Amino acid sequence: MPENTPYMVAAYVITAAILVGYAVLLYRRTLKP
Amino acid sequence: MKLLQTGRWITAIGLLLLAGVYVRALSFTPIERTQGMAQKIFYLHVPAALWAEAAMVLVGLGSVFYLFLKDPRLDRFAEASAEAGLVFGSIVLTTGPIWGKPIWGTWWTWDARLTLTLLLFLMYIGYLLLRGAVTDPGLRARYAAVVGICGACLVPFVHLSVIMFRTLHPQPIVLKPSAPSLPGEMLVTLLLSFGVFTLLYVGFVMQRYGLALLRERRDRGGDHA
Repeated sequence: MPENTPYMVAAYVITAAILVGYAVLLYRRTLKP
Repeated sequence: MKLLQTGRWITAIGLLLLAGVYVRALSFTPIERTQGMAQKIFYLHVPAALWAEAAMVLVGLGSVFYLFLKDPRLDRFAEASAEAGLVFGSIVLTTGPIWGKPIWGTWWTWDARLTLTLLLFLMYIGYLLLRGAVTDPGLRARYAAVVGICGACLVPFVHLSVIMFRTLHPQPIVLKPSAPSLPGEMLVTLLLSFGVFTLLYVGFVMQRYGLALLRERRDRGGDHA
């Protein structure tokens, strides 16, 4: 495994977590404004 | 409410397509020779940065027109765009240092691009905090519009900081006067990713706008939209 793969994995996981997290937050907020 | 439903669908489709971008970026896009796998952060970092900047420009435009027209829809749009911009700004400020560590050898350096991007992020936070602190809707919209316009004025400095100052951050390789200096396959992946981030921005803004509308109606004791 190339040396800097963990950095790439971390960036991809964090980006997905932020985007999915915000989408879920918005969904919940719009159910109970 | 139709706006909310459409926003949810666009967001859901955007998230599904994001998975497709991940597959394309990781499996079907060549690995850059010098940076290796770390360069793949580029396909998320750059679209997020472009939308973090564009969202603030749109906040500024909405704010300018609000001050002239006093149309509450413009204020709602500016608020929605600011919140979406904060989300993209937080992606930029996390993926950037993660990319910087293996390539520059440091998580953070106080150079012009990084510092101005942090300032843009703080402008988003300040804008949203201000909106939460002022209770009168008219005053809130007017004060927020002033901060929104200041934020938009910052964007050209963020984008051109790599040209105006000596920085560690690379020069623009896509949004520049000459043709993009990027191999075709990498450019396609970047453009696909940018398209997905655009969808997500639209979906987030539509939902956030709908939420502001619902809250206004609730505060007025109106219908259950």
